[in-house]
Amino acid sequence: MVGRIPRVRSRPPGRLGRAQQERDVGVPRRPGACPTVTARVKSPFVWLLEKEWRELMVSRSWWVLLIVMGPLVGVSFIGAMRQYAEVSGLNGTSAGVGEALAPLVGVWAPTFSACELVAVFLLPFVAIRMVAGDRQSGALKLELQQGMPPFARMVAKALVLLAGWLLAMLPPLSALLLWRIYGGTLYAPELATLIVGHILNAGLTIGLAAAMSSFTEHPSTAAILTLSVTVGTWILDIFGAVQGGLWERAAGFIPAALVSQFEHGLWRLDTTLIAVVLIAAGLALAAIWMSLGTAVKRRVYESAALGFVAAGAIFACTFATPSWDNSESRSNSFPEADERALRRIHAPLRIDVHLAPGDGRRVDLERHALSKLRRVMPKVQVRYLSSTSIGLFEQTSAGYGEIWYDLGGRRTMSRVTTAEGVLESIYSLANVTPPVETDDEVFRGHPLAAQSNGAGILFYGAWPAGFLAGGILVRRRFQ
Amino acid sequence: MLFEVDGISKRFGRIAALSDVSFHVEAGELLGLIGPNGAGKSTLFECLAGAMPSDSGLMRAQGAAVDASSRRRMLFYVPDGIAPWPKQPVRWVLDYTIGFLGGRAELREEAIAQLDLAALLPQAVGTLSKGQRKRVLLAIGLLTAQPALLIDEPFEGLDLRQSRDIAVALRSHAARGRTLFLSIHQIGDAARLCDRFVLLSGGRVRGEGTVPELAAKARVQGDLEEVFLALT
Repeated sequence: MVGRIPRVRSRPPGRLGRAQQERDVGVPRRPGACPTVTARVKSPFVWLLEKEWRELMVSRSWWVLLIVMGPLVGVSFIGAMRQYAEVSGLNGTSAGVGEALAPLVGVWAPTFSACELVAVFLLPFVAIRMVAGDRQSGALKLELQQGMPPFARMVAKALVLLAGWLLAMLPPLSALLLWRIYGGTLYAPELATLIVGHILNAGLTIGLAAAMSSFTEHPSTAAILTLSVTVGTWILDIFGAVQGGLWERAAGFIPAALVSQFEHGLWRLDTTLIAVVLIAAGLALAAIWMSLGTAVKRRVYESAALGFVAAGAIFACTFATPSWDNSESRSNSFPEADERALRRIHAPLRIDVHLAPGDGRRVDLERHALSKLRRVMPKVQVRYLSSTSIGLFEQTSAGYGEIWYDLGGRRTMSRVTTAEGVLESIYSLANVTPPVETDDEVFRGHPLAAQSNGAGILFYGAWPAGFLAGGILVRRRFQ
Repeated sequence: MLFEVDGISKRFGRIAALSDVSFHVEAGELLGLIGPNGAGKSTLFECLAGAMPSDSGLMRAQGAAVDASSRRRMLFYVPDGIAPWPKQPVRWVLDYTIGFLGGRAELREEAIAQLDLAALLPQAVGTLSKGQRKRVLLAIGLLTAQPALLIDEPFEGLDLRQSRDIAVALRSHAARGRTLFLSIHQIGDAARLCDRFVLLSGGRVRGEGTVPELAAKARVQGDLEEVFLALT
């Protein structure tokens, strides 16, 4: 006979009055409701944030990312500084060329490109560990019983990862300090735009990695899927450049294109909104597939519904045309006098461009003229017409290379693909006298012929050593 | 009666893990879910806790169906074989249970003493042995505030002395009105601890009741082992 465990002040089961039961057992309070002094001041969401932060702090992959960031920024910054100094006339060479130099394009875009590299190749692993770790350890089964919406859980993870990303951006931000010490000038709006672009890019990576982690059982599979999607966006970019049309338009919203816009100081509302929608969709998808108690069929329906809603939202966002050129050099805009003149033209403008997607002239036309024109005249219609992708065997065709302008029924043709050529054609159709550009409007640049003294020690020594020491100390403290 | 389970079924492809499982749970009782490995015990707990969707069936309390969100207020499930938050120290895990999962702070020190966790508090969960981890999981469960606690294999990885100590601890919590529903594959452990039993085998309930009730149903005389063998 098996010996029984002695009963401890046992009562017959099921005979407790409800009030007594609630006193003894404790009515299942709203989770997180004041069990301790600490908990009294912390909501469950704050507890979750704290937990995610602790998980990030003890993550090896996270500290490796931080350690790597310093040298990557160092290579970019020191290289950019050297070129900038050479063009600015270091040691008396190339004197005068530096007048056209803009620090945003010459130094900051390359320096912060380290962030793009890290966001693509390292951040996914950190994010995947954060999202998939709970499922692997079994913590997810406990945490889901708290009743917090799964999306809120994902938002907590994303917020912590973004906070961590800001920490990872300290090395490039320290480059700003060095630049000031060297005597360089800073233009806050363009730098803020650049930083926002890299934060949005990191957000996209986090959303993507979260979604992929939720689909798969193992983190390595999630990593492969995440990188596959990233490579897929690059393929879309190449495909868009070759095929043009909708592909080209879609390629304008991939993360690399987003970063490129922000690197030039251009803040577009449509791109920003689409990035936010994609981040939210990624987190929502992760939330759907992390809901363990939901049937797979229902999760598939919910994912499909989410896909439709996200696609609709993205389509709607493409109509949000406002954009802000925050670059000091106004590299994304026509001169202000031209913009004023163009705004006075109200007749509908249509431009038919007979150039193939792979034709360099089309790229020039788009980058230097039409992208600027769309910002001033959002309703301009541009049609690209070509029967081939590269245009090599189309050169002899009648009409190839022509750019037809139609302003309220008046038409003219030009083959010039420069900004000046495009403006001239429009002004001639609109009977507008081209404005005269004043010297004050010309951006003269900020040449700086300085050597990057001390940058090597900071980026190759101090930052990695600091993060290594920080990692050891913080991990020890949190564990 | 705290709640009743009515006709829960769950299939994994062609395999029927649970078939029309029905039973009831009394408030404040120590109910043992016993059955051999692969009987469907963990699957049943996961379905009840909402960690896995069931194909059919429902849970009722006071005659009304209890949906997944309401279940969370009624019961808490402690799975077997998990190592939650492996990099975090036990001390923090207990605080997190109280803060995030809405646990009862006043039970913290008692649970630490009952489960002999004092020496483990600074250690990370991932560095603990199987038995130590089980004790931490039990502490998490005991700290939660839901009236019913479902524990999958509470004695797995524990030695005899620890098993007996923990059985005493579980009984002390049940004595204060908490309902404990324990999945146990070692019939001896179950017999020592539980008031009533649900016998599960091949995904079906083979019997429900106290040892005498089950013995009468099986028409055998003897202990729980004899009854179990007769009914399964």
